[in-house]
Parts: sequence; structure tokens; C-alpha cells
Amino acid sequence: MLRTEINELLTQTGPGTRMGDLFRQYWMPALLAEELPENDCAPVRVKILSERLLAFRDSDGRYGLIDEFCAHRGVSLWFGRNEESGIRCAYHGWKYDVTGQCVEVPSEPETGNFCANVKLRAYPLVKVGDILWTYLGDPAQQPPLPEFEFVRVPDEQTYTSKRWQECNWLQALEGGIDSSHVTFLHSGQLNSDPLFKGSKGNDYNKGDLKPFFEVADTDGGLLIAARRNAEEGEYYWRVTPWVMPSFTMVPPRGDHPVHGHIWVPIDDENCWVYTFDYHPVRPLTDDELSHMHAGYGVHSENVPGTYRPMANKDNDYLMDREAQRRGEQFSGVKGIAIQDASLQESMGPIVDRTKERLVATDTGIIKARQKLRKAALALAEQGVTPPGVDPEHHRVRSAAIVLPHEQPFQEGVAEAVVARPGVAQTTV
Amino acid sequence: MPKVVYVGSDGVASAVDAVVGESVMVAATKNGVPGIVGECGGNASCGTCHVWVRAPYFEQVGPPGEDLEEDLLDLGVSDRRCNSRLSCQIQVTDDLDGLTVDVPAEQP
Ligand code: FES
Ligand code: FES
Ligand SMILES: [Fe+2]
Repeated sequence: MLRTEINELLTQTGPGTRMGDLFRQYWMPALLAEELPENDCAPVRVKILSERLLAFRDSDGRYGLIDEFCAHRGVSLWFGRNEESGIRCAYHGWKYDVTGQCVEVPSEPETGNFCANVKLRAYPLVKVGDILWTYLGDPAQQPPLPEFEFVRVPDEQTYTSKRWQECNWLQALEGGIDSSHVTFLHSGQLNSDPLFKGSKGNDYNKGDLKPFFEVADTDGGLLIAARRNAEEGEYYWRVTPWVMPSFTMVPPRGDHPVHGHIWVPIDDENCWVYTFDYHPVRPLTDDELSHMHAGYGVHSENVPGTYRPMANKDNDYLMDREAQRRGEQFSGVKGIAIQDASLQESMGPIVDRTKERLVATDTGIIKARQKLRKAALALAEQGVTPPGVDPEHHRVRSAAIVLPHEQPFQEGVAEAVVARPGVAQTTV
Repeated sequence: MPKVVYVGSDGVASAVDAVVGESVMVAATKNGVPGIVGECGGNASCGTCHVWVRAPYFEQVGPPGEDLEEDLLDLGVSDRRCNSRLSCQIQVTDDLDGLTVDVPAEQP
């Protein structure tokens, strides 16, 4: 259970909120690079941390993320013309460059410098991997760019998708930390999903339905470890790193690519889920890629031309009672991503955590909330840079490993949970 | 057997003969003491076994030992005081005979 004021503190991320200030310390995904495929292409509306912005790519290939609304009379620049190194408002033709600087006001005499004094709010927009990242905080404090392994491996080894989720970011993130739901909600997928099936670890997973959880602190966040029985005298450990504020990685299965998520608040009742899949040492195969595109694994099949899943709350996620009865899917909803989305959205836009009843398997959630809260308060009160800002904290990996009973997991996975270029993931 | 006394928000005290080694939460729930729920079974995860430990026993019992208890007291309980503890994290010992705790009117 969480007191109301703490629930509010953790879930509100708009300008001037404490969690909003915390998010504004980090580089965050603003959109996928594929959304701005070429110079002078159509601009994209981006809402992030409750700020309404416009992303565009100018004639010289520069990316910009500026206030969505024109400084003249407030119309949306999304209707504008992206041409000759700037976006021109469709209403009266004022023109802005990628820094938000107004460069032309057609009605004013060219001799005056009226437009020099007109500048829209603007944020950096930088391509790293398949993602365009932004930083909404104080420019003087801008940290180095993200170092997550999935955006640093060669292009052919990595794939990222995204989907819109219609609920607050925190309950979505909490789903990524709570691995005890996998045994139930996603049980059908271990056997059937082409991106999961056929690993020894899956047998351990299915053989021990009561995992024991341990949580350990790291510099950037937490390690959440699920322990199951393996062979005589051994445990099978699945270790999920969480890097603050909202990055997690699912432990690997066999030689399948490894996946994870970053959750980004759109506003307090919506978030983007960025989902990646990569292999540290080999290109993704055509088969794997086509499965990812089709929404297998942790990806989703989206309505063409949008990032809204085909199965969404307006069609009850295409839930199939018969399939649920037959046991093909525990909840009757197809696909891991939509299974998660359906249940997390079903809690309501912002779940009332004063009414929840946590148990021992929720330890990771309790720890994560406490770390977020403490970091937000330390930032507000003493200006302390929160964990996860330093790119050193990004160099993590998930791991699946079998260890003897007597070995503590922190010790057993110490090497495995560090991203090491050119070294394969530790997996069972 | 050491005695543990639980004082409800209405001032009514229940005294229980506790077994050495069990937790103050278990001693209460076993004996049906009102106001101590112990939903998570003593894992410092639910916060429904919150108590205020009276002087002089608080000295003996000390502040929260486990990180998780500290976190939960911070996040979950409605009225954290300097003598707040999760009773599932306090072990009954012979030395603690007479231990007296106040039980909040409401658990999370
Ligand atoms: S409102 Fe944009 S130019 Fe007038
Ligand atoms: S019984 Fe749940 S915290 Fe003590
Ligand atoms: Fe899930």
C-alpha cells in the first residue's frame, strides 16, 4: 500500500512536479528514428511529460524538438510546411528552425529584427541507435548520451518497436519489475512463442511455480532476481536489472535475442512503451525480425500507420474466452505485450495504490518506489543527481544462470549483469 | 513465556503469552489480537502489522533493521512515528517480557 501523497508524487510527471523534475534529469526516447525517415519529411507531434512538442527533420538532416504551437497566435505547427531548413506555420507563414528560433516573419519589414526576439521552447533531439532521444532538463546539466547496449550494438543486431499504453507510466513499469506474474499471465507463451521456446530454462520455469525473489541495490537501480529449483543442489536464477527511472531488461532464454523496455510518460494517464530486442554478438535472423515485426515476443502488432496496438481497450484486446478455457493463453489475450497492456490498463488510468495488498513477491516494486521517491526528494531538496543519469549505469544486462545452492546470486551474476561488448549474454 | 501487551486505539489492552523466537506479529495473530493483520505473512511487504513500541522497550527493540522495513514504513503506513516498527520484524525474546506496543486504529 502507498499513501495517497506518495502515489501522487510518483505518478505525476508534468512540469513543476517532483517526479517530472526527476525525469527531466535523463535522456528519454522521444520517438523512433523511423518516424522521421528523411529530410523535410512530415513533422510528428510528440507529447512527453505532459509537454506538447513537435519533432521534425530539416533540409540539412538536423533534428529538432520544439514547442508544438506557433508563437504568433498559437496554432499547431504540425500543419506547417517543413521546407528550406525550417518549419513554416500554415497560418501566417512564420518560420522556425530546429532550435526553435524564429527565422522569418513575412509580414514584418526585412530591415527590422522582429523575429530575432521570437524563440520557441526547444529541446535537443539526438539519434542513438533506432531512437531519437531528448533531454527536457536544464541545458547546463545535460548528461552524456545513453549507453544502453541495445542502442550501441551494430544496427543488424538490434530492433526497437513502440506502442501506446493507456495508463500511467508507473503501473506499466511495475509490471516489468514484478516477474512473478510471468508464471501465470504469460505461461502459454513459453511453449509456443518463436522468440522464447526451446530453452532449458523454460523447463525450470515451468517446473517450479513458486519462485523466491531477492532484490539487490545497484548504482543505477536494482537487480531483481527470481530463484527456482534446477537440478539437484542448484538453483535457476533469472535476474532483471532496473535502471532508473524506467529501463528494464528481461532475462534471456537460450540463444534467443534479449529484450527489454523503456517506459516514457506521455502525460499522467498515458505512456509509450519502447521495446527492444538485440543480440550482443550476432545479427538478428530474418526469421527473428519477421516475428518481431509481427508482434511476437514482447512486441506488439500495431494499427498500420500508428503505434496503437490492434488489440486495445476499445475491442477488449480481442480476448478469446475459448482460448482461455483451452489454456492456450492464461487470460485469453494473445501476445505478451498485449497481455501486459490489458491488465495494466484495466487498473484504471492511475491505479489507487492505497487499496492494494502487497505480498512477498512484490518486494521489487516496494524497493523501486522507494528509490524513485528518495531520488526525487534528494533532487528537490539538495540537487542530488539521481541514479541512472550517469551512462556508466546503463551498461547492464539481464542474465539467466544456474548456481549452486550456497552461492549468493549477487556474487554468481556479478560479471553476467555487466554489458561487455563482443561477449555473449549469460543464458540457460 | 514472555508476555506481550497490545494496546488498541480504544485503550483496550490485550496481553498474550508469546513463544520465544516467534514474531510479535505472529504472537498477535495467533491469539486474535485486534488491529494486527499480517497479510504478507511476515515478509515486511504489506505493512499491515505496524505498531508503535512503547518506552522503555523501544530502546531494547531498536529501529528498523531491514532495509525493506524502513522502506515500507516510509511509503505505506499512515502515521509513522519515531517508535514505529513492523511487528513481524520483532522477535520475541525472554528479555522482552512485558513488551508493550500501541496498535494503530487502521492498518494500511
Ligand atoms: S499563428 Fe503561426 S504565423 Fe500566425
Ligand atoms: S506482516 Fe506484512 S509487513 Fe509485517
Ligand atoms: Fe508481463
